Amino acid sequence: MVVLFVKTINLKMIKSSSIALEFDNVLPELLYDKSLEDVKNTIIFHGNKKEAVSDYFDVNITGKSDIPDDCEIIIDGDLSRVKRIGYCMSSGKIVANGDVDFHVGACMSGGTIIVNGNAESYAGREMTGGVLRIKGNVKEFCGSSYAGDWRGMSGGKIIVEGNAGKQLAEYMVGGEIIVKGNCDILAGVHMAGGLISIDGTINQWVGGQMKKGTIIVNGKLEEMLPTFTLQEIVHNPLICGKYYIGKYELYSGDNGVKGVGSLWLKK
Amino acid sequence: METPITDYDEEIKNCSCSYCGNNCDDITYLLKNKQIVGVRHACRIGASKIINDQDQRLLNPMIRNEEGILEETSWDEALDLTAKLLYNSTRPVLYGWGETSVEAIKKGIKVAELTGSVIDNQSTICHGSTIQAFQNVGHPVMTLGEVKNRADVIIYVGTNPMDDHPRHLSRYTTFPEGFFRKNGREDRTIITLDPKFTNTAKVSDKWIQFNMNEDYLLFNALRILLKGQKIESDEIAGVPITELEELINIMKNAEYGALFFGLGVSQTLAKQKNVDVLIQLIEDLNRYSKWSMLPMRGFFNVSGFNIALTSETGYPYGVDFARGYPRFMVGETTTIDLLNRREPDFFMAISADPGVQFPGYSIQHLTQIPTIQIDTHWGPYTELSDIVLPSTRVGVETEGTAYRMDSIPLFMKKVIDKPENCHSDEWILNELYQRLEMLKSKEEK
Repeated sequence: MVVLFVKTINLKMIKSSSIALEFDNVLPELLYDKSLEDVKNTIIFHGNKKEAVSDYFDVNITGKSDIPDDCEIIIDGDLSRVKRIGYCMSSGKIVANGDVDFHVGACMSGGTIIVNGNAESYAGREMTGGVLRIKGNVKEFCGSSYAGDWRGMSGGKIIVEGNAGKQLAEYMVGGEIIVKGNCDILAGVHMAGGLISIDGTINQWVGGQMKKGTIIVNGKLEEMLPTFTLQEIVHNPLICGKYYIGKYELYSGDNGVKGVGSLWLKK
Repeated sequence: METPITDYDEEIKNCSCSYCGNNCDDITYLLKNKQIVGVRHACRIGASKIINDQDQRLLNPMIRNEEGILEETSWDEALDLTAKLLYNSTRPVLYGWGETSVEAIKKGIKVAELTGSVIDNQSTICHGSTIQAFQNVGHPVMTLGEVKNRADVIIYVGTNPMDDHPRHLSRYTTFPEGFFRKNGREDRTIITLDPKFTNTAKVSDKWIQFNMNEDYLLFNALRILLKGQKIESDEIAGVPITELEELINIMKNAEYGALFFGLGVSQTLAKQKNVDVLIQLIEDLNRYSKWSMLPMRGFFNVSGFNIALTSETGYPYGVDFARGYPRFMVGETTTIDLLNRREPDFFMAISADPGVQFPGYSIQHLTQIPTIQIDTHWGPYTELSDIVLPSTRVGVETEGTAYRMDSIPLFMKKVIDKPENCHSDEWILNELYQRLEMLKSKEEK
């Protein structure tokens, strides 16, 4: 389905900084009814200083919208030092054309974020809804929890078209993560719900200390923990409403925490 | 052979050592004409730190001139310039704190909050992942006194106290007589788990060698064996299953077990998760016997910083006040990561030497930004610093509080007078805070 956005806010980076900018005020629900001047004066955080969007970006607006769902924000430029894009976003759409910094889509509850590049760590952290699509690679702790918390992503969907770093979906309690590339160690560690599907090779210790939830490895698993037990071998299994073609081994675990999680390995 | 020191006129007993996390508080200083001439009971490293005090001592504030040479200056000039640089910076980092008092740390937290700085300590390069695991999973605690009096099985994992914490075995775990361990060493079983045959392994009853970076796998396997479940493989992490079964039997049958672990656990591949699963193993063992665990903390008050910062902000290290309230994310607000990302535009090290502790790539950035040193001795970081503020030694020239590795607070006595133009970290930070407040009120007007 093609959604036509009524209002488009274009932000084109004109000045970069080695000190990260924090973009949590730049959200469709906060800017959908704002004038050009208001958008330009929106506060962004630069280290311990408050600055305006227009200090770093050229701003253009086309169209008008009455609801946040009709608003799209397109950000262009070197965004590798722009943190918290789409932080706590609940509606509308953000497109980031470039590599993005920490916490993209963190705590988002609705709407869509598309990153046409790579993402730093903590992408989709504590996400409760919406869609986050990353066209490149993502670093560590994607879909995880805040430091010290034990509740990670609980809803929504993250699609990583490249590779994912360490501790993907740590403490995940719900939602869905699809990784089309490879995955580093400890994917789904402490997982308590939700679904992870990995198409590529996964490094060591997938599902460590997982209690519930489902992990599907369509590629190769390099090292399995001794705390998982083989339950059965299934051809073309139906997992969470979708058929997976091929021969799959179903393991349960992590027995170390009396877990009843499902780990499907394609053979 | 060294001759014993007899030429002294004063003996001060029950002082605390300001070297490692053992915080040995049975040190005796020997003084002549109010100067330390000898020390008793300290280990070689602790004694060397105390006796070689005058070697490379920083005695006056200095500012680097245009030719790149550190020039002596007045306290006012050095503090005014430091305050101005800090106040005008956008991403300041205040790092160190492992070798100063809790009183100074509390002043430092106030400075960080006022200036929107990141405040971080050596945990960021050592037991940070351990503290995260403690916050996530919990921590079966013990004191070193309990270990001395009760423990009959001691396990060291990924740590080598014979070299790093030399009196740990003789004072707390292995050799001393305890209330329930009258025969000292004979009443105890010492086991070392380490990929290397360390000096601690040499004095242990048993050394179990496992593959480096496979701690997570090893501890998971131990949990499975403890529960009486079978492992299909013949070996895990390079250790035969029979050896692991034997180890689990010793652990289950201990009267009181104490496990100590070091950076060999917290800084290898799975980092925090190694500690997570180790904590769970200890929890499981408590169904059979009494077991507790402790990290082997390095500097004498590195633990005190974590305790003070957690008490003030809720986070143990790497706290970012940039937005006016505390935030903490590993990799984002931690010093090495910030330096590697080239973010800080001001760096102040307090009782720490980043020139020794940091990787080369991180140090490279320190040469590009204003750098301040608050410390007692000349070191590699002095060569990088633009401003040097000479401080005093806690437990020798200044009294203060420090937390031992088992989180026991200890009061550290003042033994001798400080050098004339040096001031305590607490005094320096207080002066800095007052100047920063003045700059803030001027700006608000």
